[in-house]
Amino acid sequence: MLREHFPGLNQRVHGKPLVYFDNAATAQRPQAVIDAINDYYINHNANVHRGVHFLSESATDLYENARLSLAKLLNAPSPKNLIFVRGCTEAINLVAQTFVRSKIKAGDEILISHLEHHSNIVPWQILREQTGAVLKVIPMNEQGELNLESIDELITEKTAFMSVVHVSNALGTINPVKTLIAKAKEAGIPVMLDGAQAVPHLKVDVQDLDCDFYTVSGHKMYGPTGSGILYGKAEHLEEMPPYQGGGEMISKVTFDHTVYNAVPAKFEAGTPNIAGGIGLGAAAEFMMTIGMDKIAQRDSELRVYTELALKQVPGLKLIGTAAEKSPVFSFVIEGIHAHDVGTIIDHYGVAIRTGHHCTMPIFQYYGLAGSCRASLAFYNTEQEVDVLVDSLIKARKMFE
Amino acid sequence: MTELSKLYKQTILEHNRHPRNYGKPQECTHQAEGLNAICGDQVNVYLTIENDIIAAINYDGESCAISMASASMMTEFIKGRSVPDALQKFDLFCKLMNKNGDVDHIESLEKINTLVTVKKFPSRIKSATLCWHAMAAAIQGVPNATTE
Repeated sequence: MLREHFPGLNQRVHGKPLVYFDNAATAQRPQAVIDAINDYYINHNANVHRGVHFLSESATDLYENARLSLAKLLNAPSPKNLIFVRGCTEAINLVAQTFVRSKIKAGDEILISHLEHHSNIVPWQILREQTGAVLKVIPMNEQGELNLESIDELITEKTAFMSVVHVSNALGTINPVKTLIAKAKEAGIPVMLDGAQAVPHLKVDVQDLDCDFYTVSGHKMYGPTGSGILYGKAEHLEEMPPYQGGGEMISKVTFDHTVYNAVPAKFEAGTPNIAGGIGLGAAAEFMMTIGMDKIAQRDSELRVYTELALKQVPGLKLIGTAAEKSPVFSFVIEGIHAHDVGTIIDHYGVAIRTGHHCTMPIFQYYGLAGSCRASLAFYNTEQEVDVLVDSLIKARKMFE
Repeated sequence: MTELSKLYKQTILEHNRHPRNYGKPQECTHQAEGLNAICGDQVNVYLTIENDIIAAINYDGESCAISMASASMMTEFIKGRSVPDALQKFDLFCKLMNKNGDVDHIESLEKINTLVTVKKFPSRIKSATLCWHAMAAAIQGVPNATTE
């Protein structure tokens, strides 16, 4: 059983078995990840890349092997394409402030979409303040899909960069990123994909996608919080200025001049989150052992089952009904505020997220303050979906 | 019946179905908006203060049932009180709803004490206290209030 790998799933809340449907906020961790972190702190605890002693060597090996595991998971050409970061937020800020900022001038355009998380909106607004760049948005439709008909008009000779979410955290929409990338490539525009919600569900092959940058959030793919990856094409990483200055990212420092270290160290100033990186490597290995095909199949079964099951709840309206979706269900229930739904079903052991899910523009589109969001992972079960449906019916009865 | 459903059934839903003093009045002397950015609760409180007495108090906004019921209960409880009395009751309510405190009943808050059950759901305490912060801000001439 897949569930047995996740000790956090085996607990009770308010006296009821936990039904964890808040995976898009953060996933549970498998024992293998927890063990890898413990093993580092107990048996290999030392700083990386600098000591000549035994423990420092073994810590460095573990950390670099983790980078290798992630390169395999993403099918990157080399582990040197991968920069360890705190998460997708840091990855996007890094690209905005290095690659894009070094190329952009006033009036140049950055293209994002209506489905972005705040972390793929605000960094560009900051860049806009700094440079006078213009932010343009690919619109969405009622189903929560991007309107691609407008793309040809949105891409102009001034478009300098495109940054688009792969899978929407709020609605679950899987964006047609290959089409978007092809359109951008025709115009010679570099593309970054925010993969926070994609990597836990889909087989991601950065070479096949042919994106310029791809961001990975560790804690959403069963790894530790505060860990993540920025993938970048080698030519970009070579050419980009560094993000932060400090130790590790240098090869020589004098008071007059500093020579930067080689990629990826150039972007990894300071002692990194070593345990987090090692834990993230263990998460990548865990996912490859289970197999992305198996994960995708389980996701699809759960998605079909949940879509049908939620129809039993009177007054429930799904928000976001894209044809291509991950098992994420945003919904509102007539007459009950999302926070009340969340509090009531928590009492039945069901953990969901309520609110705007850091995507306020999506809910402005629908004229809503927010929604309830049940986000599933491959370790969830049909029985748990039944508990959700039952608890929603009870909440609805309470408000009758 | 769990404490939660008791709270909803006996108090919160009653006030949601029959809200007291709901709606923006034609005129008022003081008003403030309470905004809880993290959960999206929004409550406006409108006061008419005459000779240091709260002659009228109304509210509107878009929030969860706990927040709306708390505002309805607050307006019913505060109307007709003097300004210093209302501010003192605000302090007492904050004391009652302090999740780290051990106070679970304050006699002079009367029916408001039923909201103490919300303390069992710490993430929701701010829903209950938002309107009170907005009322205190309105009295003090501050246009915006948060629970942060």
